[in-house]
This record gives sequence, C-alpha cells and structure tokens, in this order.
Amino acid sequence: MTKHSNEYIKPELMACCGAREIRDNNVVIVGTGFPAMSANIAKHTHAPNCILMQESGVVDARPKRPALSVGDPCLNPGAAMVGNLLDIMGMFLQAGWVDIGFLSGSQVDKFGNINTTCIGNYENPKSRLPGSGGANPIGALAKKTLIIALHDKKHLAEKVDFITTPGYIDGSGSRERWGLPANTGPECIITNKAVLKFDKKTGETFLESYHPGNSVEDILENTPWELKVSGYVYETKPPTGEELRVLHEILDPHHMIAIYEKRGYV
Amino acid sequence: MSKVMSTKEAISKFVNPGDFLFIGGYICRTPFAAIHEIIRQNKNNLTITRSNAADDFDMMIGAGLVKRFIGTFLSLGIYGLGRCYRRSMEKSIPHKIEVEEYTNLSLPMMLMAGAMGMPFVPVKDMVGTDLLNVRSFMGENKYKMIDSPFDGKPILLVPALTPDVAIIHVQQADEDGNAQMWGIGGDCRVGANAAGKVIVSCERIVSREIIGKDPSRTIVPSFKVVAVTEEPFGAHPGYTPGFYDVDFGYGYQYQQASNSVEGFDNFLKEWVFDIQDRKAYTQHYIQRFGYEMFRKLQAGFDYSYPVSYAY
Repeated sequence: MTKHSNEYIKPELMACCGAREIRDNNVVIVGTGFPAMSANIAKHTHAPNCILMQESGVVDARPKRPALSVGDPCLNPGAAMVGNLLDIMGMFLQAGWVDIGFLSGSQVDKFGNINTTCIGNYENPKSRLPGSGGANPIGALAKKTLIIALHDKKHLAEKVDFITTPGYIDGSGSRERWGLPANTGPECIITNKAVLKFDKKTGETFLESYHPGNSVEDILENTPWELKVSGYVYETKPPTGEELRVLHEILDPHHMIAIYEKRGYV
Repeated sequence: MSKVMSTKEAISKFVNPGDFLFIGGYICRTPFAAIHEIIRQNKNNLTITRSNAADDFDMMIGAGLVKRFIGTFLSLGIYGLGRCYRRSMEKSIPHKIEVEEYTNLSLPMMLMAGAMGMPFVPVKDMVGTDLLNVRSFMGENKYKMIDSPFDGKPILLVPALTPDVAIIHVQQADEDGNAQMWGIGGDCRVGANAAGKVIVSCERIVSREIIGKDPSRTIVPSFKVVAVTEEPFGAHPGYTPGFYDVDFGYGYQYQQASNSVEGFDNFLKEWVFDIQDRKAYTQHYIQRFGYEMFRKLQAGFDYSYPVSYAY
C-alpha cells in the first residue's frame, strides 16, 4: 500500500477531489466504487443535504455495506425512494434535476469525451467494452460531470476511439449545436496524477492542480496531447483530517478503496 | 383461469426460435430459471433486449442462442467484461451477434413507447456521439433526427420496441398472472408491458385476495400474462429483495469458467444441461456449496408497517 505522508492513498485523495466538487443540496447520480465514496465524503462533511441516487431507481439509499453495483440489494432497505430506470434517467436526469454525475472511462480525451464501447475499430474491435449503460445520458444531461481516469497515454487520448459519452465533443459550441441542454458538461477530470479542468470557451482541458508527489513535467509527459497549464496551477490539497476520518471510520472501515491501487491508481 | 405451469412448459409453449424477447432484471430478479430452460430447449436465433445486461445475457450469447442484441451495456459487474460477449464480438465465437446500441435513458424510453402504443419517442441523449454513427440491423430506423415541430430545435427520435415475449421474475403473483414486484425496478415494468405476451416467474404464488391487499405493487395485470411459474430461488445468482441476496461467490465462479470456451461449456453442462429444473438446480447448489452457504444467502426479515387501503 502506497501511503503518503499523512497516511492516505491515491484513490482516497481522488475521492476527496470529487467530494469537493459537490455543493450542499446538490442532486448527485453515483455509481459504485469511489464515485460513491466521493459523494458520501461530501455528504458527511460539507454537503450534508446532498441527495445521492443510483440510475437503477434508488434515491437517498442508506446501505449497511458498500454497494458493489448500482443494482446492489443493500441499496433497497432504508432508501427514500426505490423506483425504476425511467424515474431516475427520465424524470430526474432528462428533466434537468441532476446537478452532478460521476463517470469513469477506459479512454477519455481532451474534450472530456468518454469511450466505454470499444478499443480499436468498432466493427472489428481489439477490445469490446460494456457500452454506454447510463454514462451517455449522464454526460449529456447532468449539469456537471466529474470524470475519473487513469493518467497515462493509454487511458487519456487526444481523440477517443469511440465517443460513447459526450464531453465538449469537437470543442467550442459543439454541445449547443447538437441541442444538448445549456449549462451542462464535464467539470473536471480527476486522475491519479492531477485535476484537469475545462476551458468553457474552447471545451479543452487544462491542468488545474497536480497531486502531491506528481510534478507538472511528469503530468505533461504522460498526457498524449499538448496539455495547457493554468497560470495559477497549484498542488492539490491533500485529504483533510476530517475527510480521512469519515473515510476510515464511517465509509470504508475495511479499506476496500485500496483495490483501486491494484488498478493503477497510485 | 389458472395459468400456472412448469417453466419447461411455459418456454416450450410461448417462446419460439427467432422471437424478440425482453428479459427483466437488474441483478435484481433476473429470471434465471427461465433462461436456463431457454438454453436447454435451444430456442435460438433470438433477439434479446434489456437495459444493463449482465451474466444472463452473456450466457445466452455464449450458448449460441442470440442473433441480435438491442442493448445499452453488458458486463459481469464487479467481475468485469462479459467473456462470452467479448468472444462473440472480437472473435466470432460461437458467432458474431448483431448489436444495436442505445443507452439507459433511450432504451427504457423505447420500451415505454412500446408499452404505451406510441410509435416513437423523443430523447435528449445520444446526440453528438458515435452512438449515432453506428447502425446495425435496424438501419435507418435506429433513430431519426428532426427539427422539433414545436420549437424548431433539433431533437432525436427513437422507435418503440414491442418484444414478442417478456420474461420477468417477481416476488409474487396469483395464478392468473397479476404480478407484484418491489425493490430496484430497472426497466422491468415498461419492458413487460411493451411485450405481446408475458411469462411471469415468481418466488411464490399467492391468492387473488393477497394481491388485493396491496394492489399498488402489481406491475403487470393478468390479462397480459400467458404463463405463471413458481420458481423459488429462481433469480439466483441474482437476488430477489426480501428473499435472498446476490451470490458474489457464484458470480466469480461464472467469470472464471467463462474465461475459456471449454470452461464455459463445462459450466453449462454442470448448471444447465445436466439439471432438470430449478428444484434440481437448488439441490445441486446445496450439494456443491453446502447448506450453510445456501442458508447464508437467505434474506432476513425487516417488515414495513402494514399498508392499509381501507376507506
């Protein structure tokens, strides 16, 4: 386990970066893994009134164990509402009630477009991936989308092999031209090295902050396009004592988040 | 009129090779007893649909029964990519299936349109992505982009889906087919109601009187239902709220087995072909993994306050 100076691991830092994007009273669609962890950190710290929901139909679940899928049985008892896909994806997301969506992708590009469909050519894929699921509508319709990605030249791409989920598509004005709702789109890409934000004029990412232990040079080296760097680039704030306490004592006592280290989030 | 019959009879009577099937479930209430029967009876050439497909769809694809898949997603959840799905798409083993790709918003909307008798439905997602650039067997009818007749803005239309048969697993039904479900819904309600015929698999058959004690839970009324099958533990390795938990250990076994064609074939032999019905399956499960493991999956009790509809 790669411990950092004040006893946190990279996935925990990334989860905290996500949590900090959530405001009190936000309505948040989460999946499992550290998107769920992120949203719960926010709920237990600065955003106690945020409402979390799963696309499968669940609103404000109170699971007694970490949910391993959006359909996990532990999401049922204790929830405020258990409905169906159309309730969440239609009535709430499409109708414009969702503030934040969390997504991850096998490939993410500089406009925040996400690929979860295939690596290589669509007709004869090198790797066939699961497909959109709820990702496309979340990326299309949530006011802010937070994207989680591994920071290397395989998982970041100048252009993804297949746009499953829209970011800023071809850049400036593309979302509007396609008729996607105003004031929606990716807010940031949280990687294991950095937080990238989006220039809303061009739709392109830039380096907002580098994580402790990662240098700007290392980040530029591992980004497959000429990544722009913010004039005020800074070091990502490490998890606070309170964030870590919530993580370790309440949300993840068995330290399940550590499995993300094995997946390369170091 | 009682529609109660065995799953074997229901599948034999109401599912034909070449049919278009909606199969309900979202890890929650996967109708696995019926799926295994479809595999045993080799009902092939099928078109299958559901939002968020999982191990059950992967298994049907691996068994070579699927011609076409109208889908949004297929994975084994925490166990990663669907092995049979990948082999089909990447290596044409046992053959390459034709896939029409939608999303977890557009697909349930298409089933809703089917259930409501609407020809198509507008949706706000999918635009600007490669999901619009790939068309398979639906061709030009996968979607249409129009300028809205109301405000002139571009809007995407997707067609209604009307499967021949829907197969769902629910907690309880009466013998006429009034089917009651609770817990995570997925697209079960719209999918069932979009189909011409519904096969209801359930944990228990209850009286019409019991149905009437809490009628808000009914998702399909009897007149749409052609068969009712009582299959306790019928969704395993998926779960049924109030009855049993999801079986992650078994999910791992399926992943390991389906890593290779040979492993997958052995898995089917052990759990499908050498098994007569769900009762035999449950017995085999207990023999294989022990009663303790079976017992561990059984749900506890945590009742709601009783509901009253009195006036």
